[in-house]
Amino acid sequence: MSFQAKVRSQDGVVTFRLAGELDSRSAPRFHEMITQAVVPAARKLVLQMDELSYMSSAGLRCLVYAHQRAGNGVDIELVGTQPEVAETIRLTGFDRSLIMRAHR
Amino acid sequence: MRTTDRFRLTGDYGMALVVADLVTTVAGMGRLSKRQAYRLRLAADEITTNITCHGYCGEKGVVDIEGGVGDDWVWLHIEDEAPPFDPTHHCRVTVPDAVQEGGYGLFLAVTGIDHFAYDYSGGRNRNTLLVRRLPAHEDTLDGGTDDECHRAAGRRTGSVH
Repeated sequence: MSFQAKVRSQDGVVTFRLAGELDSRSAPRFHEMITQAVVPAARKLVLQMDELSYMSSAGLRCLVYAHQRAGNGVDIELVGTQPEVAETIRLTGFDRSLIMRAHR
Repeated sequence: MRTTDRFRLTGDYGMALVVADLVTTVAGMGRLSKRQAYRLRLAADEITTNITCHGYCGEKGVVDIEGGVGDDWVWLHIEDEAPPFDPTHHCRVTVPDAVQEGGYGLFLAVTGIDHFAYDYSGGRNRNTLLVRRLPAHEDTLDGGTDDECHRAAGRRTGSVH
């Protein structure tokens, strides 16, 4: 399944809705979206992950990039992450830098 | 033992799809759980991506991939003709304390499956990826206990076995 992403920004909260497969082919597009959307005024990032069925290390690097771009003190919340994707994040230890919720 | 077709890839755009399809096929043959199949696909994706991105120094080169099922294991062989490269010597063995920019791919490939082996012979790198088949009475479960152990092993020691 191809990767799809939508972004919305409101009151400093940047929300990405991700779907499909985030891998080495699709990651550059998501990386560019992060560059455009995650501005210094952002105070919180929310990623709706429930429709994201696959994420490789290339996708993980996008999350790391978003974390770095947002800066310290900006919460990054992953919502509805599928178990296998969540496990990939946990294996790397990056879950310690995120808030992972089942639902909003 | 049953095997899949052997695919020769050349770093084309659709390579990830071929890898995904092959893993789906071999995971079905071996009755792997969804979680096991996902991890095998992730490992194969990371290894093949690494080869195509770095193995041939920017040039296109062949990647051969083949899978099979034995009594106890589902396996993949991924081979290339790039200079010798042992993934187990180029990835961290423990989870980092701080967020890292990269280096996750080979770590996930090597620690995310039950066994990873590398050898170099006849001018070819050969990566062997193994996932242990669940006993028949467990194959409707998702291998939670095994995965918990493996995750713990990955965090603690980075064991590749």
